[in-house]
This record gives sequence, structure tokens and C-alpha cells, in this order.
Amino acid sequence: MSLLEVADLSVAYATKNSPPTHAVRNVSFSMAEGECVGLLGESGCGKSTLGTALLRLLDRPARITGGTIRFDGTDITALDENALRPLRWRALSTVFQSSMNSLNPVLTVEAQFRDMFRTHTDMTSGEIRRRTAELLEMVLIDPSYMRFHPHELSGGMKQRVALALALALRPKLVVLDEPTTGLDVVVQKSIMDSVRTLQREQGFAVLLISHDLGTVMEIADRVMVMYAGSVVESRPAGEMLHPYSRGLLGSYADPRAETVDVTYIPGRPPDLSRFQDGCLFVDRCPVALPKCATEKPPLAPVGDGLVACHVAPSTKADFADSTFVRSVRAVAEAPPVLEVTGVHKTYTRRRTSVTAVDDVSFALRRGRVTALVGQSGSGKSTIAKLLTGIERPDTGTVMFGDVPVHRLRGRAMRRYRKDVQLVFQDPFAALNPVRTVRQTLVRPLRNHLGLSEKDARARLESLVDTVGLAPAFLDRYPHQLSGGQRQRVVVARALAPEPSILIADEPISMLDVSIRAEIVELLDRLVHHRDLAMLYITHDLLSARLLADEVLVLNKGTVVEDGPTIEVIRNAQAPYTKLLLDALPNPPR
Amino acid sequence: MRYFLRRTAFFVITLWAAVTLNFVIPRLQPGDPAEAIVGQLTGQGPVDPDQIRAVRLMLGVPDTSLLSQYWDYLGSLVRGDFGISYTYFPYPVTHMISEALPWTLVLVGVTQVLGFLIGTVLGAFAAWRRNSRFDSFVTLGSQFVGSLPFFWIALLLLYLLAFLAGWFPDSGGHAVDVTPSWSWAFAGDAIYHGILPALSILVTAPAGWIIGMRNNMVQSLGEDYTRLARAKGLSVRRVALAYGARVAILPNVTGFALALGGILGGTVLVETIFDYPGLGRLLMEAVGARDYPLMQALFLFITIGVLLANLLADFLLGVLDPRVRKEAA
Amino acid sequence: MTVELLTKPSRVPQWLRILWANKKSRVGVVLLSVFVLTAVFAPVLAPYDPESTDFAAALPASGDHWLGTTQQGQDVFSQLIHGARTSLLVGLVAGVFSTIIALLIGMTAGYLRGWVDEFLSGLTNLALVIPVLPLMITLAAYAPVRGVWLIIFVISVTGWAYGAKIKRAQIITLRTRDYVTAAKLAGDGPMRIVFREIMPNMTSLVVVGFMGAATAAIGAEAGLEFLGLGDPTTISWGTMLYWADNGGALLTGQWPWLIAPGLALTMLVTAMTLINFGVDALSNPALREE
Ligand SMILES: Nc1ncnc2c1ncn2[C@@H]1O[C@H](COP(=O)(O)OP(=O)(O)OP(=O)(O)O)[C@@H](O)[C@H]1O
Ligand code: SF4
Ligand SMILES: [Mg+2]
Repeated sequence: MSLLEVADLSVAYATKNSPPTHAVRNVSFSMAEGECVGLLGESGCGKSTLGTALLRLLDRPARITGGTIRFDGTDITALDENALRPLRWRALSTVFQSSMNSLNPVLTVEAQFRDMFRTHTDMTSGEIRRRTAELLEMVLIDPSYMRFHPHELSGGMKQRVALALALALRPKLVVLDEPTTGLDVVVQKSIMDSVRTLQREQGFAVLLISHDLGTVMEIADRVMVMYAGSVVESRPAGEMLHPYSRGLLGSYADPRAETVDVTYIPGRPPDLSRFQDGCLFVDRCPVALPKCATEKPPLAPVGDGLVACHVAPSTKADFADSTFVRSVRAVAEAPPVLEVTGVHKTYTRRRTSVTAVDDVSFALRRGRVTALVGQSGSGKSTIAKLLTGIERPDTGTVMFGDVPVHRLRGRAMRRYRKDVQLVFQDPFAALNPVRTVRQTLVRPLRNHLGLSEKDARARLESLVDTVGLAPAFLDRYPHQLSGGQRQRVVVARALAPEPSILIADEPISMLDVSIRAEIVELLDRLVHHRDLAMLYITHDLLSARLLADEVLVLNKGTVVEDGPTIEVIRNAQAPYTKLLLDALPNPPR
Repeated sequence: MRYFLRRTAFFVITLWAAVTLNFVIPRLQPGDPAEAIVGQLTGQGPVDPDQIRAVRLMLGVPDTSLLSQYWDYLGSLVRGDFGISYTYFPYPVTHMISEALPWTLVLVGVTQVLGFLIGTVLGAFAAWRRNSRFDSFVTLGSQFVGSLPFFWIALLLLYLLAFLAGWFPDSGGHAVDVTPSWSWAFAGDAIYHGILPALSILVTAPAGWIIGMRNNMVQSLGEDYTRLARAKGLSVRRVALAYGARVAILPNVTGFALALGGILGGTVLVETIFDYPGLGRLLMEAVGARDYPLMQALFLFITIGVLLANLLADFLLGVLDPRVRKEAA
Repeated sequence: MTVELLTKPSRVPQWLRILWANKKSRVGVVLLSVFVLTAVFAPVLAPYDPESTDFAAALPASGDHWLGTTQQGQDVFSQLIHGARTSLLVGLVAGVFSTIIALLIGMTAGYLRGWVDEFLSGLTNLALVIPVLPLMITLAAYAPVRGVWLIIFVISVTGWAYGAKIKRAQIITLRTRDYVTAAKLAGDGPMRIVFREIMPNMTSLVVVGFMGAATAAIGAEAGLEFLGLGDPTTISWGTMLYWADNGGALLTGQWPWLIAPGLALTMLVTAMTLINFGVDALSNPALREE
């Protein structure tokens, strides 16, 4: 008998003022004891909703609208809170998505262990303290942190505490909902390693929800893929059959390979408030048949797993039209357009000072992409600010030809900014919510190119066309655009003044995996067609490999390694670079 | 520790600012302020020379520089010399204030703390039973009651319960034939007299805290840590109190600190209506009689009282919320 | 609910549409309109001249005098209708003034930061904790002339602090938004950035602030008038209560004289609170009705 058996489960969010969102639709699956199942899918496809439903933690407006959840033989779908309580935590525990907020800010770490132990056991205070210390040590945290409040811990530590808490009563099933998003790659890696070791030792089952493909493929015994509220595939990690799964998997590649190709899935997921006949993926599927639009494919056994697709058993879909290929290529020598020499920057807040950038030098050349790779806090964004003149270096120089950027002010600074433009990290924050795309794009044309309102407007259509948007988008407000479309608008704004240098600060990190390659492709095309110099800032070696000709690895404000991308990645010298490389997941392919 | 030092520093600065404001206000008049004030007094009929003397004394030696007047003013404050009341000549202002202070302190202290507690508890219940009938009733009700002008409620209560029903006395802090003393009889009498004024404050006082607490707690109940507490299988009580309410009360404490100024203002009205012998009524009397020294001193005392209470509330917040202690550092 | 509204740009200002979408604030808007119309058409609506003392004193409510007459023989109902003018005038003018002060101080502090901010924030916090009514009383007591305009002045200079604090906080979060940096890079100057990029994102905040300030002003005006710190010959709900209290309405049993102005005041303040509730609910999704 399996540990968890879910049959035909449906969940809807019903708000008064809008049609209900059917976030989980007739999902059935089971999990065996000790099994580690990965749940993959784009943002908004219902992963967290499913996980929360299994824990019976759904709050209004969400409601289970059908189906059953059986845990260890008992039907828990309709148990009331009192009947659930003995199961909670002893048998079923969890680490939430964004655990940053899952510890009570006004209670000490110890108190949050204590109330749980008091509820479920009759341990004495001394025993509780000893056990808490043990658990913290298990997740590699010094037990003295027990007395601290959550805000005194770093993000990674909070996550570890949440994990220790989840495992405290040796539960049978742990739901891990994106347990590492928002953390540094190295920290992510070490947390996932702990999960794995502990799971082997203690034998609990794990449902790992994530959109980090590499990690899921590496860790999970079995992978489930969700699309628009339904499970479309379920099988042991390895080659997948459903076109959607293949599309997702295509967005991951090993950056160490000679030739790296990544795919993206064009289009966006369907509206979950509507039911449609046929396969929900039909609009985005490269191998769709006519019957796909009318006939819903059942989740049926194929090979060693299950898949819901009419063609999957025979045809293997690929996204040839939406692939970005990067092989090793020779780069022509070009004179530098921007030279950074020995810059330092120290921030002083109140009494403490932080050295953000320490003696960094490099040059940007036309037609070439230089990647700046490092963890958060390594000084990447500060360098971007120094180059755009938003901040000034304490010492060192930034030369644009013979223009000293580090000394520019007022009018001269504005003239310089025509040549250096920035692509922001968060497409949701980079566009003013009250201005249309047209209003946003017209400004740089008028200010930097000195065009009249009329001329500027005339130029807009070709501008949005370069970033692959239809002119109809000009009159939209940002909230009417998808993440990828917003990022295209941000790129268009940066291109508008016809700059010679583009600085892209983590331009894809906030986007869904399925569309990242799309933006990478766009940036790559622009660099070569327009002969731009680009500084590409990222924490992610794969995207650096895809875009950049050369890499600088930054750690705590200093460059620890630099050189041609492929060489640095294949043949890392600095220990820190090696650490970053080790943190890359190694999925079975 | 930093946090407490910072709050204390802010207290000292505001205290200084209030003291200075108190010095500046009477001198805002164009020309010689003393002349202006005296002129205003004489414009209203015959003036007692004592009154003019009191004004001049309060404003300091004329023809000296403002700076030296300010210095003298600070000096007399430090000595506790607030001048002589004109209305209650020859009593010093401090005497009048010390007579009135306990009344206000008890009335405001009791009603505000009660109001805060009642409001917070009701708000917490409303949030816990979100969207229930109790919730809508309490939320809508407190929105309505909260917008009632509370001096008007005082008038209504006075009319209904004192004049029509005759259940309570209509004015004063104690019966005329009872002299203030430390006795049960006096305490009972004072409480009896205090019920109506207290009631008129208590009708509206909880409204703001109800709404604040409800909204905060609806939020804290939706936070991940509360969901996690439920997932941990903690008892309903523990989830509601230690997770939902414990976090939600913090903004209300900050709110309490900020609202104190307004609250004290309101009691002026209530005290006037019930002829309650507190600071507020004294202030109105002073204004009516143009007893400027008394008025100034009262303004200063009320302000200092509010600042002190504010400091206390800030300290309380510091004790309750580990995050603010850190932030200030 | 909001998404649908936002997608249809139209001539009706967005904040008004937002208000109308919320049930509570819709009631508030209707109620407030009734008051505004009453105030505008007061001379037409009122049966008598509110100041005329031609009638017998202290008449009880009757067909001729719906709410009776005052101690001086004025018609209470006519006074009530004209009183709406004073309240709305004070609410409007003092609301506008304190909003402007709040905007200036809050925006300057938030945008410039540094020592300017330290100073202005200190000032704001100071103004927040100082007991307002005693300050108003003291200020009013010194004033050579008393009247509505003095009250408006006093309320405006004492009532801006809360709004300034909120606006400062808002602008601090807005000014570091990426789109503001982007506007800088797009070559826009600071004025344009403040007025075209930042301000439009603050409209609902400004509306809320104004409504809050106006509500407080209306209450404060009534309180000050009731204490006799205004000009007792002005016709307002506050002075009506002042005269009712001093004229012994309690003793003579003229309860309509006492009840009506307070009730009108309550309704007006309720209307404003309801409107504000709607605006609040939209800026804070947690408060939205389900
Ligand atoms: N409180 C809510 N009210 C209404 N709809 C909601 C609510 N929470 C989630 N949804 C909707 O339910 C759907 C599924 O959301 P869910 O959070 O489960 O996605 P997810 O797969 O976990 O996404 P992510 O990867 O971003 O965490 C989405 O369309 C979302 O918009
Ligand atoms: S069923 Fe049809 S549309 Fe759906 S994934 Fe398979 S081939 Fe594509
Ligand atoms: Mg999720």
C-alpha cells in the first residue's frame, strides 16, 4: 500500500468578484514510503496549491472541489482540524515556499521548536533543549542560535531551521515547496545536500516542488510535471516524453559542454478560470495534431511512467524553432569602448562600512559580451551602478573613450547615458505601472535623440519590432503584459537611444525557466546585429556560458578569475569558481 | 539597548521642542506681546492690574533680548516655577495643576487602557472569525461608532442618564459634601461621579483599536508562520494567541503611542461637559478667564504627559518586538 | 474586480472608479453627495433664515419648526442645513491645506533624504505626538480675531503630520524603484521624474490623506466651536451644540436641538470614513472583501 494516494483531486480559488480559478484539476497520483518525488512546472501551474491541499492547509478562497486524499490508509480529505491534529507534523510536515517568512518574528528559534514538542510529546524542557540542539546541528547550525530571533539569522539559516523543524518528529512525508529559491547557489546546493542525506538516513518520503529543473532531476526518484493544474507526466528522472516536459527540460543544459543548446516554450499558459476541451497545451505544442484541440489526452502508462499526450508514445517533440544554440566561437579583437581600472567602492551606513567593490579592472568591447558572475552581495550591481554613473567610485577610473565617467556631472552625464543603457533585473519593477509602453518608450527617444514627439512616435513601431513585439503592445499598460513581454519592453527602452554599451543586470533571473532562453536569444541577437558591447551580470553560470564571450568571477568585491567563458568554466582555477561549478546540479540525462 | 537610548533621545528632543513651543506661542503676536495681550484684555472690559502683572511676569522682563528671556524661562521651569495663577490668586500655577492632575490621570488612564484592551480583544475575535456575522457586526459597528463625535455622546449620556434617568450625577468629580481624602467613601463617590465621563470616552475609544487589530490579525493569520503553526498541529489557542494576535498587536501598540496626543485632547471636551475637575476643564477655565500663565503651564504639562506616555508605549513596543530593538541599531 | 477596471482607460479618474467599485465607499460617496448638495442649496432648502430671531424662544418640535427653535428663537432645522456649509468648507479647505503641507514636507524629506530628511522627519514625529487639541486651544486663545478662518488655519498647521509621515514612507519606496532609475537613464530630469513618474503612483494615497485630513478637520472644528473657541455667531453644527449646551437644551427637554447636529456630524464623518475604507481596501489587498 502506498503512503499517499491522491485521486481525482481538484482545487479552486473562488473569489467573490472574479470567476473561480481552477488551480488543480483532477490530479491523481500516489507516493510510496521513502520515495522522493519531484514536482515541476511553470509558475502558476498549481504546484503550491497541490502541496498545500495535501497538507490540508488551504485557506479561503481556496477549496477542495473534488477527489480524495488518502494518507497512510486514512481518507484525510474531509477530516476536521481536531482529527487532523494528531497527524500534523508527526506524519506530515512541510517547508514552505519562501520560508523567509515561515518563522514567527517575535518568538525565538527555541520557542518555535518548544511549542511543537509540547504539543506532540511529553518531553521535559531539558530534553526539548537537547533535542533542538541536535536538530540544529543536523542541519549544520550552531545550537547557540537557539536563543536568537528569526531576523537575526540569514536567509539560508532560516531555511535550515525550517528544515530542522520539519524533520523534528521524524515524519513520514515532507512537502518541500521551493525550499531554496532566493538563496545563493552555493547555499542552495548545501541545503539540498542535507535534505538528501537526511532522507537517506531517516527514510521519509519527500514531495519536492520546484522549478529548478537541474536540482529536481538530480535528487528525485520520480518526476511529476504539472501544466495548467493537471499532471501531464510522471516517470523516473531521465528522458521525458511529454512535449511540455521536453520543453522544460530543454531549458536546462550543462554549461560545460562543447555546444550548449537551450529551448524555450513560446506562448503562455492558459487562463485557469476557463475549462477547455482537448489538451491544455495545444496552443504551445510544436507537434499538436488536429484532435488535440478537441480530445483530452488521458494520463496513460507509456514506458516506465505515465504521460498525457496523444503523440508522445510515438513522436518525440522538440522545439527546433525555439532553440538557442551556443558553441565555442572565436571573437574578433576590437578596441575597448569602456575601460574600468582599479575601482573601489565602499558604502558607509551608520557606523559600519562595507567594501562592495575592491580593485576591479576590465574592459568592454564592441560585439562582445562580458559576464560578471558572482553570488548576491558580491558587488555585481554596484559595478553596474558605477558604469552607468548612478554611483561614483571612491578611487579608480571608468573611461568611455576619453570621457572620464567617474567625474561626469549634469549635462555631460546625460550625454554619456545616451551611450550606456541598463536592462533591469525585475521586469515588474522596471516599468512604471501607470504609463503605457508608448509613453515609456517615447522618453529616451525624445531626450537622447532629440526627436520631436511626432518623429519619436513614428519610430516606436520599428523599435518594438526589434524586440519581437507587435505594435499593438504599444498601448498596453505593464500589468497587461506577461513577464517575458515586459522584459522585452525593458530591452526596447534600453535600445531606444542607440547606445553603444548595454548593461544587463540579471535580466532573466526573475523570468520563468520556460521563457529564459527567449530573452537570452534576443540579447545575443542584438549584440551581434548592432555591434554592442554588453556587460552581462548574473549568478548563473549556464546563462553566462550562453551569452558571454568572457567571464569575470567576482567574490566579495574582487575578481577572483577571468578569461574566455569556456575556459573558465571547463578549467576553473580559483577555489571560488570551483565552488560555483560544484553547485551546478548534475541531472541524469 | 540602542533602541531604548534612541527613544529616550527622541523624548528629550521633543520635550525641548515642546518647552520652546510653549515659549514661542505667546510671543507670536506682532509688536510687544505683553502690550498685545494686555490690549486684548482691556478691549474686553475693565482689567484687574494683577492680571496685567501676571502676564508681564510670565513674559519675562520686557526690553531684554529674546534669548535672555528664553534663558530665564528655562531657568524658572527647572526651578518648577510656572508663575502665579491670576484666577486663583495667590496660588501658584503648580498648585492648581497638582489638584487637577490626579483626576485626569485616573480618568484617562483607566478609560484608555480599558478601551485599548477591549478593542484589541474584540478585534482579535473578529479576525479569528473572519467574515462571520460577529465580524461584520463588530467591524461595521465600530466604523460607525468610531465616527461619532464623542463630545456629542457625552452630551447625550448626560441628557439621558443624568437628567432624564437621574442615575448618575450631572457634574463634578465628587459630591460637594464629600471632601477628598483617602477613604473608601470618597473613592466610591469619585467612581460614581466618574462613570459617565468614563463611559462617554469608552463608547468610542475601542473602535479604532478594533479595526486596527482586526486588520493586522487578518494579515498575521494569513502569513506563512501562522500557516506553519497550524501545520505543526499546535492547538487552536496557541495558533491564535502566540502567532496571530502576538504579532498583530505590535502595530496597535505603536498606534497607541501616536494616538495619545489626540486622546488627551478629547478629554478636554468631556471634562468640560461634565464639569469634571481635571486638567482639561482647568484649561478651558484658564482660557475663559484669559489666565495666560495657567494656560501656558497647562499646555506644557499636558504635552509632557503625552510625551511621557508615548515614551512608555515605545518602551513597551521595544520589549514586545525583537525586531525594533534590532532596527534601531 | 480591479483588474477589469484598470484595463479600461477612460475619462473618469481611476480613483473615482475604484471608489465606486467598493460597496462601502459607494454608500459613502452617495451620502457625501447628499451633504454637498444640501450645503450648496442651503438657502433654497432651509425653511427660514437661520439667523433670524423672529420666533418664540425654545419652541418644541412642531410642523412649523421641525426641530424646534433655539433659546434666541432661531429655527433649528434651518441652522442645521446651513451648518453643513461650515463643516464642508472647513473640511475642504483645511483638508486641502494640510494635504499640501503634508505633501511638501513628506515629499521633500523622502526625495532628498540626508539631513533635510532627518530634520523634517523629526519635525513630523514631533507634530505627531504633540496633543493637538490643547495646542489648538492655546493658539486660538491668543488669536486677536476668532472665527472659521482662524479655526481652519489652526487645524491646517496642526493636522498635517500623519499625512506627511505616510507620504514620506511612500516616496522612499517609490524613488528607489527601478522605473525611476530607468527614467533617469532615459534622460528625464528630477522635476519630470517627481511629477510624471512618482506622483501618479501616489494618487490614491493623496486621496486617502485628503479624506482623512478633512474628516479630522470637520471633527476638530465642531469640537473647537463647541468649546466656544470659534465665533459663536457663525452657524455651524459645533456652535449649535455650544448654544444647545449653554442654552440649557438639556434642562428644557429640547432634545432635537441637541441630537440633530451631532447626528449630522456623525453621518458626514461616516460618509468620509466609508469612502476611505474603499480606497484603503484597494491599496491593501488583505482588506479586500471576499
Ligand atoms: N489566494 C489566491 N486567490 C486566487 N487565486 C490564487 C491564489 N493563490 C494562487 N492562485 C492562483 O492559483 C494558480 C496556482 O497557483 P500556485 O501558487 O499553486 O502556483 P505554483 O505552481 O506554486 O507557482 P510558483 O512556481 O510561482 O510558486 C495560479 O493561477 C494563481 O494565480
Ligand atoms: S496532446 Fe497534442 S497538444 Fe497536447 S501535448 Fe500531446 S501533442 Fe501536444
Ligand atoms: Mg509555488
